[in-house]
Amino acid sequence: MRNSILRRRRTELVGGAAVLLALAVLPLPIGDVYTQNLIIITILFAGLAQAWNILGGYCGQISLGHALYFGFGAYVSTLLFVRLGIPPAFGMLAGGAVGGLGALLVGWPCFRLSGHYYAIATVVVGEIGWLLFLNWDFIGGATGVYVPFKGDSWVALQFRTAKLPYHYLVLGFAAATWIAAFLIEGSRWGFAWRAVKDDFVAARSLGVRIFPSKMAAAAISGFFTGMGGAIYAQYVGYIDPDSVMAGALSILIPLPAVLGGVGTLWGPLLGAAVLIPVSELSRSYLGGSGRGVDLMIYGALIMVVALARPQGLVSLFGRRRGGPDARAA
Amino acid sequence: MTLDIILQAAIGGLLMGLIYALVAAGLSLIFGLMDVVNFAHGELMMLAMYAAFVLWQVSGLDPLLLLPIVVVVMFGLGMGVYRGLIARALSVRFNRGMVQIFVTFGLAIFIRGAAQFTFGGEFRSITTGVVANRTAEIAGVFLPLPQVAASLVCLAAFAGLLLISRTEFGHALEATREDRDAVALIGIDRDRIFALGWGLGAAAVGIAGVMLATFYYVSPNVGANFAITAYVTVALGGFGSLGGALVAGLLIGEVEALTALVLEPSLKQVGMFVIYLAVVLFRPRGLFGTL
Amino acid sequence: MKRRELLLSAGAVAMAGSAARRAQAADEIVIGAVYPMTGNAAPIGADAKVSLEMTAEIINGSHPPIPTLMGQGGGLPALGGAKIRIVMADHQNDPQKARAEAERLITQDKVPVLIGSYTSATAATISQVAERYEVPYLSMDNSSPSLSARGLKWFFRTSPHDEMFTVAMFEFFRDIGAKTGHPVKTVALIYEDSIFGTDSSNVQRALAQKAGIKVVADIKYRGNSPSLSTEAQRLKAANADVLMPSSYTNDAILMLRAMNEIGYHPRAIMAQAAGFQEQDFIKASGALAEGVLSRSSFAVDAVKARPAIPAVNGAYRAKNGKDLNDNTARQVTGLQVLADAINRAGSAKPDAIRQALVAANVPGEQLIVPWKGVRFDATGQNVAATPVIQQVTNGTYRTVYPFELASLDAMWNVGG
Repeated sequence: MRNSILRRRRTELVGGAAVLLALAVLPLPIGDVYTQNLIIITILFAGLAQAWNILGGYCGQISLGHALYFGFGAYVSTLLFVRLGIPPAFGMLAGGAVGGLGALLVGWPCFRLSGHYYAIATVVVGEIGWLLFLNWDFIGGATGVYVPFKGDSWVALQFRTAKLPYHYLVLGFAAATWIAAFLIEGSRWGFAWRAVKDDFVAARSLGVRIFPSKMAAAAISGFFTGMGGAIYAQYVGYIDPDSVMAGALSILIPLPAVLGGVGTLWGPLLGAAVLIPVSELSRSYLGGSGRGVDLMIYGALIMVVALARPQGLVSLFGRRRGGPDARAA
Repeated sequence: MTLDIILQAAIGGLLMGLIYALVAAGLSLIFGLMDVVNFAHGELMMLAMYAAFVLWQVSGLDPLLLLPIVVVVMFGLGMGVYRGLIARALSVRFNRGMVQIFVTFGLAIFIRGAAQFTFGGEFRSITTGVVANRTAEIAGVFLPLPQVAASLVCLAAFAGLLLISRTEFGHALEATREDRDAVALIGIDRDRIFALGWGLGAAAVGIAGVMLATFYYVSPNVGANFAITAYVTVALGGFGSLGGALVAGLLIGEVEALTALVLEPSLKQVGMFVIYLAVVLFRPRGLFGTL
Repeated sequence: MKRRELLLSAGAVAMAGSAARRAQAADEIVIGAVYPMTGNAAPIGADAKVSLEMTAEIINGSHPPIPTLMGQGGGLPALGGAKIRIVMADHQNDPQKARAEAERLITQDKVPVLIGSYTSATAATISQVAERYEVPYLSMDNSSPSLSARGLKWFFRTSPHDEMFTVAMFEFFRDIGAKTGHPVKTVALIYEDSIFGTDSSNVQRALAQKAGIKVVADIKYRGNSPSLSTEAQRLKAANADVLMPSSYTNDAILMLRAMNEIGYHPRAIMAQAAGFQEQDFIKASGALAEGVLSRSSFAVDAVKARPAIPAVNGAYRAKNGKDLNDNTARQVTGLQVLADAINRAGSAKPDAIRQALVAANVPGEQLIVPWKGVRFDATGQNVAATPVIQQVTNGTYRTVYPFELASLDAMWNVGG
């Protein structure tokens, strides 16, 4: 049994490397800037979904307030850059740290809540954060923060029109989240959480200490989400509470993971690869008419995928490991 | 900050709170029955508002008279949503909780797009009717008639829901809520109960929508303005508890109104959010939740 | 003629025809317009589409000449009659999406110039894209002062911004006070919590202080609220001479109703346009909207000063069932100015268009708006844009200030 697990893990690692390589060369023959942008946004959201997946998928804590950590990361990194001149290459680590800290602070009192109450609590905390930021003049309030362009630079994570550097930046980010998920999947925590989802009482009786492991998951998830926020800020060049902290974003972050396959390694990427292009392309080529057709397509797609593939799109590619999921989260 | 300002704000909060309560009631009903958090609840309300507006525009009748028609339509719509979508979502073997969340979320986006497609993005308003734009003044306190009517209707709706809970159907609902796997043994068609439950939940939010349309604008995104409040109300009251929805709705309506007096009104929702967190940290299942 | 020659000449004619068609397609200037086509501001985007396409038709089409800038039709004369074509893109009020759409229009549709975008957050990223790709971005309806204060080379704004609009408001207060003997002593500010409300109220606060007018209520409210009754209560308690709201359409509707519900009827309301200038607001508010004052960049009744108004407004009305308003008139004007600049540039190259915009000096008489004209300063802001003050009279906005342009006297209940 142990050998087959190891073999599977090795296969997955090889698969991961192959996908990484493929994505690394993907943009090279593509000259169209819009497509490059589409790929960047897709990979960024794949990374964010994977970061969420660590807490929401593997650990089973359905957080619907992750935009809070994303926003923390975006604001910390950007303000450090704009006010103190600290380049985002370092700022994003600080952003990640604040994101992780935020997740810990939220997790500590809220993990004791069961499923839906926990989810609403995360929504509420997210809303409070967004409202506070909207009204907090020190960080710019509703006016937002412009990221001044000071020339192409890897340290400042800024490039005038070049897309390739951003592509590798988000690819590195997504790869890091994938590796984190990979490691967690094979770790004691990963097994413990799967045990908890199947039978909470039995898991406890085995001496698994759940709470500290959940806190760790929160910290890791929050850290990566914050880093994603910092990267986003440098890519878009302007942030305000509505675009980096609003509740709608908190729903969009886990969506690729849920549709791709929650608690799986490839689910988030698969889900992002389907959802983001559909959303972006339908807006770009159908949205201009203002008829709402793009929304209808997007909504219908979510419903269809959720119903047709409840284990997620990964189930299209073979057996789902790890048996049936627990009762409703 | 004089007493009559506080009093007026408190009354406004009460009136609004009853509307929140009714919106939450439908949500709580559906959840209590089958463990589904309906993320399209706000959009169902929006559809009810459009139904009221269109019927008013076409017939010129008072929206209060149109209420029964819209209720019936919404009941049917709720059953339709269940049969067409939710029943399928419930039959999945994996990940049921998440599938429900995101199926209804997809439905919400779809309905919003469809509303924009059908009606356009304009803000519509019902401008005539027996309560439209009228206010009663009693002892220096202003009671806007649309909100008063809405509150009375909401109370009546709650009474109705209470009555229904005493009937055989209500008992079947309760039984299904308690143990949805075992009810088949006592001859309850679970599927039919679920469909009726969805119909009831949609009808409840439909009533709230029609009453809202007598004083609130109608647009494709209007559901989002009430959604967060509705979910927090349900959670605060306790998922599955109708009484909880009533109490929580009133509480949240009050807190929101009074917070706007004390803090900058742009922060008025912070009050209800803090209350939710405070309550749930001591009572992890909300005020009256049993699930 | 021998059959072969006939075939050859027919072929030659066909080829010449198709070459002409190809050349015609090439003789087209595509302008990228980024607007909110879905979401709460979707009606604005829908109206913008109509106003822009109608203006393009006026510029391109064959019709009797209209006495306005580029109103003679037939396309751009200096480019051989090249036609203007508008491509609409949806930014969904998200700066990231606005950035992506602006970039797409530049790189895929190869637009040499961008226009848009109604909301400030989206204008922030669109202008950044324009700056990086060195393509002019002509903002025609964004009113936040901060947008033109960032040292951008490729940003131009034909519209006045909220500071200019608010200056007009306070000048009106001063002059109407002098005229009627009932000056404004107190104002109440109420504004929504996004950039628009914050920027607007900042200017109003500063100008009130300068004018020695006391701000007796300063209320920031949550946009898209289920209820504004407590906010209305606070306004009633303050009981200012003039209520100065900065709100979008839905909140404007709710606010007036909320005030009416508690029996509060402000002596005067001076709105920062936006929602208060929208038809949905007028329709919803009915009698409650009577007497509401608003700044505007357009006066549909200034026909004597701007004789082109009936023709242009008529064309818009025919397509959309309502008159041009503050937003749509600015879009018409912006596109006219842009087309004129492209024409003067004699080229579709972004750099040439930019130079032409820098040199723009359009006299007000050639526009449909009552401005002194269009002339951009070093920051790209049109400094010759002069707003008017209007008042809802019998369900439509009529111009009441400047007094020379007024079509009737303002109804002024302050101090009465």
